[in-house]
Amino acid sequence: MVGAGPDASGWPRCQTGSVQPSAAILIVDDHDGFRTFARGMLEAAGFTVAEAATGAEATEAARTVRPGLVLLDIGLPDFDGFEVARRLAALAEETAPVVVLTSTRDARDYGGRIAASPAAGFLPKDQLSGAALRRFLARDRA
Amino acid sequence: MNRRLLTALIAGATAAVGLFVWAAWPPTARYVPIEISMAVVGLSFMAAGIAAWLRWPASRLGLLFTIAGYLYLVPYILVNLANPVAWTVGNMYQGLYGAALAHLGLAWPTGRLRSRFECGVVIANYAQNVAFNVAGMMFWNPAFSGCSARCPANVLLIGEGSRPAWNALNTVEGFVGLVMTGIVLALIVRHWRSARGWSRRAMVPLVWISFAVGLEQILIGGAFNLPLSGLVSYGLAPLVLLLGPALFMISTVRARTAGGALGTAIVDLEPGAPPGRLKEALARALGDSTLQLAFRQDDGSGYRDTSGQTVQVARPDPGRAVVSVTGSDGAVLVYDEGLKLEPQLVRLTAAAAGMALEHARLQAEVRAQLEQVRASRARIVAAGDEERRRLERDLHDGAQQRLVTLSLALGMAKDRAAQADPELGSLIESASKEAREALTELRELARGIHPAVLTETGLAGAIQALVERSPVATTVTAVPDRRFPAPIEATAYFVVCEALANVAKHARANSAQITICARPGRLVVQVSDDGAGGARPEAGSGLRGLADRVASAGGVLRVDSPPGGGTRLEADLPCP
Repeated sequence: MVGAGPDASGWPRCQTGSVQPSAAILIVDDHDGFRTFARGMLEAAGFTVAEAATGAEATEAARTVRPGLVLLDIGLPDFDGFEVARRLAALAEETAPVVVLTSTRDARDYGGRIAASPAAGFLPKDQLSGAALRRFLARDRA
Repeated sequence: MNRRLLTALIAGATAAVGLFVWAAWPPTARYVPIEISMAVVGLSFMAAGIAAWLRWPASRLGLLFTIAGYLYLVPYILVNLANPVAWTVGNMYQGLYGAALAHLGLAWPTGRLRSRFECGVVIANYAQNVAFNVAGMMFWNPAFSGCSARCPANVLLIGEGSRPAWNALNTVEGFVGLVMTGIVLALIVRHWRSARGWSRRAMVPLVWISFAVGLEQILIGGAFNLPLSGLVSYGLAPLVLLLGPALFMISTVRARTAGGALGTAIVDLEPGAPPGRLKEALARALGDSTLQLAFRQDDGSGYRDTSGQTVQVARPDPGRAVVSVTGSDGAVLVYDEGLKLEPQLVRLTAAAAGMALEHARLQAEVRAQLEQVRASRARIVAAGDEERRRLERDLHDGAQQRLVTLSLALGMAKDRAAQADPELGSLIESASKEAREALTELRELARGIHPAVLTETGLAGAIQALVERSPVATTVTAVPDRRFPAPIEATAYFVVCEALANVAKHARANSAQITICARPGRLVVQVSDDGAGGARPEAGSGLRGLADRVASAGGVLRVDSPPGGGTRLEADLPCP
């Protein structure tokens, strides 16, 4: 069951109303180099990080890892970031993570699709930083 | 054509007329109308004969017409020569032209008699005529007819002749003549009923004329003693015979008309008409409803006509004839044999059919080539689009991805280095800035190669993205939300993209408007501005290229750009 008790991975649950610096981040990207690099950067920023390379792995990890935030690349090999965001949003409310879409492309390249998706927002990959993610988490808390 | 024979005919006819005039001279007032009507009838047959000979050299019809003319005129010349032998011979052959007319009617329209039986009928007809005349002359004393002093001696007369014998012979002759006329008319009606196509049409006037002439022959032939004056019997009634030469005129006019109608039929034939329509047009123009247009089958199964029926070409059915369509390989016309009389018309038909088929073939070839060119142009454009999409994706997955990582790494390195070595920090900072700028430029380049937003979101999103980047205030009044085939979306996108680029560069406009409407089977893209106008598609390569692009999708680009009146660009694209 999702949404009750500490999960199998031992990551602490993200409590609504109190953003922990150690909130788990799930990086979903099929590009190994970017994942490795982002993990290093975010861990340095105090986050706990899990990784997934495909949309399927991402939905699975969302159930097992229960991340507080999912950094979700739009271009994935199986189904795209928008579809993954929809599936994540369908999780029970207390386990649904904050989803931040990302891409090397510009937000404008996706027209209205980003706004129409249940994701919290979009962050261009080259602007990734711990601080940027914290802002998303803080906005979600508010 | 036998020139010597023709010359002889013309000379003979001239001599006959000369003799006729000389023999009938000086004119006796009482006989003038009769003489004139006889001359007209005889000369008409001779003239028709010579003309028919020229027109149908291979047919005996010309000869038959001419013979009828001589047989009509010559006995009259002979009886006027005041010579006992000539007078007797002339009287013997009076009425023989009737047998020639029957011969002509039975041989119509080919000039050949159709069977041995009919040959027999014709010979019997000539024979009974001569026989009765010769026998009659043996018993006829001219005094019986009140011609004792004026008439030369009857050299065949036996003794003083015998009125009862002569009367009996006359009665039998009248009866036999009636039977023969009936047989001939019945045969002609049978010919008409069994004829098809051209021959049937040719038979129709003959049937009417035969009955009229037959009736005239019976009336003046002595079968009935009608209370007719000599003027009517011998002056007016013969004018009915003029219908004979008229038959030739009707045929000639018909052939001429058919020749002209063929040209019109071919001109009027709509482009791309199937061979069946061509056949119908030719058949109608020619007046041969039995005309068939047949093609050799590639599978070796012989020839089939336009309705799919097998057609015998090597050995045509009785009454049918075959001609190759001019310039064609394996196309033939099968027509009514009666038309053989008009070889010129047959050649004309074959040539007309050849032209029409060649025209249709060339048209089909051009259409097929054009279709091929259209399809290959669309494929080339689609392949180009696909290649650009792939390039954009490769840039996105490769260089852009690496530049992002590099940029992030430099950012982190700068943070760490700044604390230990500020100079190194600022060096890395400028490297990081370079990397970010390279990334921005690469993004723009990729977007120019192929807009990802079009693939991702379709026209609505892509147009919105264009509007956001446009330096001129641009509104979108309508754009369909649904997806369209990739080549249509790409073309519509490039139309708007190029139009907005032109608005920004040349139009000096305050605002622009985009309207994209999906109509049944079409997508209409309109971009208008309130700028200077005066854009000419032929001047700038941009609009020219855009028109090509729209044409490659099977659409039309219209540019309306009056000087000072803004520019309105409309692309009308076919769209399933």
